[in-house]
Amino acid sequence: MPDDGSPADHELLRRHVAGDAEAFGELFRRHRDRLWAVALRTLCDPEEAADALQDAMVSAFRRAADFRGESAVTTWLHRIVVNASLDRLRRRAARPALSTGDEQAFEALVAQDGDPARASDTKLDVDAALGLLAPQQRAALVLVDMLGFSVADAAAILDTSPGTVKSRCARARARLLPHLAHLQGNRSASESVSPAQGGDT
Amino acid sequence: MTHLDTDVLAEFRAGLITRRRGARIAAHLAGCARCTALDDQLAGVCSLLAAVPVPAMPDSLAQRLDAVLAAEVAQRGMTQGDQAERADGDGTAESPAPRRPGGDRGFRLLTLRVLAPAAAVVLLTAGGYGLSRIGLGSSTESAASTSAGRAAQAAPTAAPTAAASAKSGAHANARAAGPTKRAVPQGITPAIVVRISHRNFSHAGFEQQVQAELRVPSGSLATQAASPQVRGCVQQVAGTYRVQRVESVRYDGSPATLIVARTGADDTAWIAAPDCSATHSHVLDTTSLP
Repeated sequence: MPDDGSPADHELLRRHVAGDAEAFGELFRRHRDRLWAVALRTLCDPEEAADALQDAMVSAFRRAADFRGESAVTTWLHRIVVNASLDRLRRRAARPALSTGDEQAFEALVAQDGDPARASDTKLDVDAALGLLAPQQRAALVLVDMLGFSVADAAAILDTSPGTVKSRCARARARLLPHLAHLQGNRSASESVSPAQGGDT
Repeated sequence: MTHLDTDVLAEFRAGLITRRRGARIAAHLAGCARCTALDDQLAGVCSLLAAVPVPAMPDSLAQRLDAVLAAEVAQRGMTQGDQAERADGDGTAESPAPRRPGGDRGFRLLTLRVLAPAAAVVLLTAGGYGLSRIGLGSSTESAASTSAGRAAQAAPTAAPTAAASAKSGAHANARAAGPTKRAVPQGITPAIVVRISHRNFSHAGFEQQVQAELRVPSGSLATQAASPQVRGCVQQVAGTYRVQRVESVRYDGSPATLIVARTGADDTAWIAAPDCSATHSHVLDTTSLP
């Protein structure tokens, strides 16, 4: 429940189902930046992410009466967004993961944050590296490592077991390591990674 | 023990390795600078990812979602308004309009319409959705259809019964119209969602253009509730056919409305001019879609 006395998520959802015209908007605006982040990171494409988020929002609006309260409202909202995003990924499976246009769009997005150039570089590199992951791995990694969800909550959102979430995250981190090692500063370890990547010697 | 590979270390860090094997890995890490460095780097991946700020939603998207939400709220309001009006209007028991999760429920609610040539009114429910209101006909309807409406009103929640009683007085031609036709008095206008498309259509290759447009998932387009004029136009153009999609588009560079409806085995697409209305069916182009 929010500290400032505003209604809790489940209360807003209840009001929406009861016919309150404002309640869903308030609920959605409360969470939309994180929902946007999930869609954007999962899809690696701002336009697709925007469409997925819109689909998810409309779906949640219409299906609110189906929410039974087994999970937190945020978990339910995130699940709808993740599913909408993964649905889009499946539909565009034949298409290339990243095009030049997408990268330009990313730059436009990151430019909004008033950045040191270096921070932008980091974000672009992370975005590009995320594009290398399998969708399910990426979704798990985004929720746990980037948005700070617990493994249990991520499992509820992804409708899978905590063990599967851990496994997907572990594989994703291992896959990302060679692509992100250069961003971690000049640790002495960075030189020794390459041989280890090649296998046991 | 050979050096650890990244996957194994990542699984170890995630607590996925059995205790016995984990003990061996921990022992190796304690004595191997290279694998310890790799382990540090894996930890660094997590902290790097955690440090990437959550992107703020772009203003343009926030505005778009607000508009879509407003259309949803308006559509829901209309649906509820219809129900309230029905309950107030004739005082008969009503089944609530079905809520269809995730679909364009506005199209399916009551795409019902008077067929009313002479005394013929075929009254059937379709697709399992209860026909929840038969109101009195508008002043432009024939007395015959009005009386048929009254007959049906006597048993509004028992659609098959109502259908049977209406059919009993129906003209043979209307019977031949078949069970896919649905009849309803004018004046009940279903809520229609108009999708906003930026495609410009033209007569040359119109069918292909429509096919391409229909491959765009309808959920990916912004929406708005249809104006009364557009609703009237859709009813005028599509008649009793089930409307699949209504889009605000351009035709030869000028604003127009694309209407697609299921017409028997095929679909049909129409381009309606801006002045198309319930009383003026102004179609600029049409094609059937196999």
